[in-house]
Amino acid sequence: MRRLAFLCLVISSVFAAQCALAGNRPQYGGTLHIALHEVPSSIDPTQSRNDSFAFRNITHLIFENLTTVDDAEHVLPQLATSWLSDANSQRWTFTLRSDVMFDDDTSLTADIVAASIRSANSEWRVAAERNRVVIQANIPSPNLPSVLAEAQYSIINRHSDGSLSGTGPFRIVEWQRKKLALAASENCWRGRPYLDRIEIEFGGNPHDEQLSLESGRNDLVDVPAEQVHRVSMEGQMLLSSQPIELLALLFTRDAQSDEEKASRQALAVSIERRSIRSVILQGSGELAGGILPSWMSGYGFVFPVDSNLAQARALRQQARTIPNWTISFDPSDAVARFLAERVALNARDAGLSVQPEASGKTDLRVVRIPLLNDPRMALTSVASFSGIVQPGIKSDAAGDLYAAENALLASRTIIPLFHLPVSYAYAPALKDFRLSASGAWNLADVWMETPNR
Amino acid sequence: MTFRRKLLLVFALTVALSVSAVAWLVSTMTRRAFEHTDEQRTAALLTQFQRQFAQQGDDVASRVAMIAGSEPIARMAASVNRSSSDLGGYLEMTKQFAEGYRLDFLEFVDSQGTIVASAQWPAKFGYPDSSFANFSSWDDRPAFLKQEDLEDGPALGLFAVRTTHISERPVYVIGGKRLDKSFLSALDLPADMRVLLYQNRGPKFNAEWLIDPSSASARNPRSPEKLAPLIGDILQRNQELTQIVHWTANKADDELFHAFPLRGIETGRPVLAILLVANSRRAYVDLEHSIAASALLVGGGGILIAVLLGSWAAARVTRPIEQLADAAGQVAQGNWDARVEVRGKDEVSQLAQSFNRMTTELLTQKERLVQAERVAAWRELARRLAHELKNPLFPLQLTVENLLRAKQLGSKEFDEAFRESSTTLLAEISNLKAIISRFSEFSKMPEPQLQAVHVNDVLRGVAQLFQAQFEAPGRPAIRCVLELDRSVELVAADPELLHRALSNLVLNAMDAMPQGGSLTLRTQQKDGKVSIQVSDTGSGLTQEECARIFTPYYTSKKHGTGLGLAIVQSVVSDHGGTIAVHSDPGHGATFTIELPQSRELLQNTQAGRTDRTVTSEGT
Repeated sequence: MRRLAFLCLVISSVFAAQCALAGNRPQYGGTLHIALHEVPSSIDPTQSRNDSFAFRNITHLIFENLTTVDDAEHVLPQLATSWLSDANSQRWTFTLRSDVMFDDDTSLTADIVAASIRSANSEWRVAAERNRVVIQANIPSPNLPSVLAEAQYSIINRHSDGSLSGTGPFRIVEWQRKKLALAASENCWRGRPYLDRIEIEFGGNPHDEQLSLESGRNDLVDVPAEQVHRVSMEGQMLLSSQPIELLALLFTRDAQSDEEKASRQALAVSIERRSIRSVILQGSGELAGGILPSWMSGYGFVFPVDSNLAQARALRQQARTIPNWTISFDPSDAVARFLAERVALNARDAGLSVQPEASGKTDLRVVRIPLLNDPRMALTSVASFSGIVQPGIKSDAAGDLYAAENALLASRTIIPLFHLPVSYAYAPALKDFRLSASGAWNLADVWMETPNR
Repeated sequence: MTFRRKLLLVFALTVALSVSAVAWLVSTMTRRAFEHTDEQRTAALLTQFQRQFAQQGDDVASRVAMIAGSEPIARMAASVNRSSSDLGGYLEMTKQFAEGYRLDFLEFVDSQGTIVASAQWPAKFGYPDSSFANFSSWDDRPAFLKQEDLEDGPALGLFAVRTTHISERPVYVIGGKRLDKSFLSALDLPADMRVLLYQNRGPKFNAEWLIDPSSASARNPRSPEKLAPLIGDILQRNQELTQIVHWTANKADDELFHAFPLRGIETGRPVLAILLVANSRRAYVDLEHSIAASALLVGGGGILIAVLLGSWAAARVTRPIEQLADAAGQVAQGNWDARVEVRGKDEVSQLAQSFNRMTTELLTQKERLVQAERVAAWRELARRLAHELKNPLFPLQLTVENLLRAKQLGSKEFDEAFRESSTTLLAEISNLKAIISRFSEFSKMPEPQLQAVHVNDVLRGVAQLFQAQFEAPGRPAIRCVLELDRSVELVAADPELLHRALSNLVLNAMDAMPQGGSLTLRTQQKDGKVSIQVSDTGSGLTQEECARIFTPYYTSKKHGTGLGLAIVQSVVSDHGGTIAVHSDPGHGATFTIELPQSRELLQNTQAGRTDRTVTSEGT
C-alpha cells in the first residue's frame, strides 16, 4: 500500500512536471490578431512610398530578401548564401540558396530573383546565371548587400493575375483595404512558423486598439509614442524599439537666399522641444537636433536641441521681410496637429509667422520618417524623402557620417525635432515576442499560449 | 377766377388739408405707438438677455467650481507647483473635464500665471495667461465677459474663475462657454425681432465677427456690411445707440437697431462685444402705407364730394350774387330798370333788396335830375333868348321913340328921322332874324349822311379854308401845323358835318389866339378808332370851363352864342364818337375827337355810295 502510494505520487509528480514544461514550450497553431492604426495602400514591397514600420514588418512576414541586417548592423545572408564583388564594388554576384520554394510551390530561381531586383531598381543591370544573380551597379556600391536587405528589394514571384508570392514564413490568404489575413507557409525553407494564421486590422484608433487588447480581441497593437507612458503605467506588456522614427519639420522647397535660411534657422532654434516632449509626447522619444539618433550615430548630442529665443530673434532680424509660412500635418495624426500648433506659437514668440493648416499646399510639413537601421542608408533615404541632394558619404566612419548629416541640415530644408521609438503592446498569451532595435517583429518565432482560441 | 371757383377751391383745399392733417396725426401717433412698443420689446429682450447671461454665468461658475473642487484637480494642484512636475498628463485630463462639464473653454493656470493645460488651445501649455494679471479674490466674482485668444482668432465667452488651494500656491481653474449662435438662439424672441452679437476684435468692421442666428433670405438679403456704420458709431461714441438700417430699397425690409455695448472687466472696461437688437419695421411700414392709402382714398373721395357739394352750395350762394352783378352791369350800361329776384331772408337777399331799392332810388333821382336839367335848360334858353332879343330890341325902342319925337317936330325932321330910323330898324330886324335863324339852325341839326371819309382829307380842307385868315393882314399870324397819321383808315361820316364841326373848333382856336400862335391839327389811328386833335397855344381854359364848355349857350367869349361847341358835340355824338378837352390855363387847349371805325357801317356806306354812284351814272 505504501509502495502503491509512492508510485502514484511519482506518477502525479511526473505528470505535473510535464504539464508545467508544456506551458513554456512552443506550440503550433493558433491565430494572432493584430491591430495597427496605419493603413497601407499596398503590400507590394516595391511601392517605396508605403514605407513605414508596419509595412516593413508585414512585407518581411511574406517576402524575403537576398540579405538581411541584424540589430548590430551586420549584413547576413537570407536567400543568398554568399556574394562577391569586383575590386571597385560595382559588380556583385550573389549565389542563391537552393531548395527554396515560394508559397505557390514555385522554386526560387535566378530568373525570378533577377526580375524582382530589376523591378525594384531599373538603373542596375541584373543578370541570372544558373543559381547566381549578377548585379552591375551604375556606380561603385560597397554597401549594396545591405541595400538589398531593404523591403523594396524583396524577392517576389509575380503572377499574371497580379497576385504576389514570397518565400517568407507566411502567405497571403486575404487582402482587403483594412484587413490582411496570412496563413503559415508550410514549405518555408526556414521551417513552418508556430502560428497557423495572422489576421491584421488596419485603421483603428489607438484608444480602441488598447481596449481591444484589454478585452482579448487583439493580441498585438501598436502604441503611439504619446501613449507609451500611459500604457506602461497601466501595466500592459509593452515593447519599444530604439528611437528609430524621425519626427521633423520639412520645408517643401529649398531656401532661396541666406535670409531665408536665417529665418528657417530662427524657426529651428525657437522650438521648445523639451516642453513638447514633456507634454505632447508624454516624455516619450528623444530630442532630435540631427537626423540620426544618437544610438545609431553616436554623435547626436552635438546638435543643439534647446530653444534659444534670443538667438531666434537675432536670426530673424537678419531677414528684411518676415515670411508668412503655412504648416500642414496629417489630420489623423493628433501629435502632428498639436506639434504644428505649438511650433506656430513658438514661431510667434520669435517674431515669425507660421499658420497651421490641415491640408493644402503649404510651406512646411510635419513629417514622420521611418529611419533605416543602417546610418548611411538612413541619411540617404532621408535626403531622398526630403528632396535634398544626396550627401556624399565616403564611409561608415562617424566623421564622414557627421559631415554628410551636417550638409543635409545646412540646407535648412529639414528641422529634426524628435526621434521616436516604435512601440507595441501585446497580450500575455503571445509568447517569445521580441522587437528589434529597428522595430522589426519576429512573428515567425512567436507562439500562442492558447492556440485553440 | 370766379367767386364760385374760389368757393370750390376753398372747399377742396379744406377737405384736403383736413384729411392730410388727420392722416399726419394718425401717422404720428402710430409711429409713436410703434416706437413705444419697440422700446418696451427691446427693454424686455435686453432684460431677458441679461437674465440668461446671469443664468449661464452662474451655470459656468458652478461647473468651474465643481472642477476646482474635484479630486484630480486637487492632485494636480498638489503637484503642479513642484519644479519637477510633469505637465504631460494634464492635457488629456483638461480635455476630458471640458467635455464632461460641457465647457467650451477650460484652462488650469498656476500661481505664476502660467498655463498648465488648456482645452481650447492645447499647444499653449507653459505660456503665461496674459489676461489675468491679478488673481486675488476670484472665487467671489460672478461670471464675466472675456475675449479668449484662440488659434484661429479671439472668441467671445462667458468665463468664471475658481481656485484650488491645496498647497500654498493655488491653481486657478478658468472655464467658460462661448457666446455664440446657440446662446442667442436660446433667447425667446418676439415675432419680427432678432438678436445679433458683434465681437469687437478690431477697429475695422468685419462681417465674420458678427454672430447672427437668423439667416438672410432671398426675399430679404441682408449684407452685414450695412451694419458697419452703426458698429463704427457705437465704438466711437462708446454708448448705446439706435439706428435704422436699410437692407434694401424696400422700406418694409428696414430694421430698427438698438445697439448695446458689452464690456469686459479689464482695466478701462473695453467694449468686447455689441448686442444688436433688431426690430423689423415691416408692420409699421405696412400700416403707414395703409394709412397713406386710406388718406388718399378718403381725401380723394372727400375732395370729389366737396366739389359736388361745393358746386351746389356755391351755386346757391353765388347765383343771387351773380344776378346782382348782372343787374349792376345793366345799370352801368344805362338800364336803370334792372331788378334782382329776392329769395329768402339771408344776407344776400337783403343785399338784393337793397340793390333793388338803390336802383329805384337812382331811377327816381335820375328822373328828377332830368327834370331839373330840363328846367335849367329852359331857363338858360329863356335867359339867352332874353339876352339876345334884348340887345336888338333896345335900339328898336330908341328908334321908335326917335320917330315919335320926330313926328312932333315936323315932317322934315320926321322924314329925315324916318329914313335914319328905317335903316336902323331894318338892321336890327335883320339882326333879330339872324338870331332866330341861329336858334332855328341849332334846333334843326340835320341827320348825318354817312359815307366813307378820309379824315386827313377833311382836315386838309379845313386848313386850306382858313389859310387866308391865318395870314390875314392886320392881325398876328397863326402857324398851322398838320400832323396827319398816314395809317388812319376811312371812317363812316358825313363829310360836310364833320367839316363844319372841325371848322368850329378851328374858329374857336383862332379866337383863343388873338396874339397869334400855333394851331396843330393831328390824326392818329388808335384801337379801332380814329383820333382827331385840334390844339392851340392860346390862353387855355379853366377846369370849370372845361367841364361846361359843351353845354349849349355856355360861352367864355364876349360875343359868343354858346352854341358852337354844342353843335360840335352834337355832330360828334351823331357819328357815335366822343369829344373831350384838355387844357391848362395859359398853355392852350386840345380838343380830341374819337370816331369809331365800324366795318359794318363802312361796308354799308360804301355799298350805298356805290349804289348811288351807279344810280347817278345810270341817271
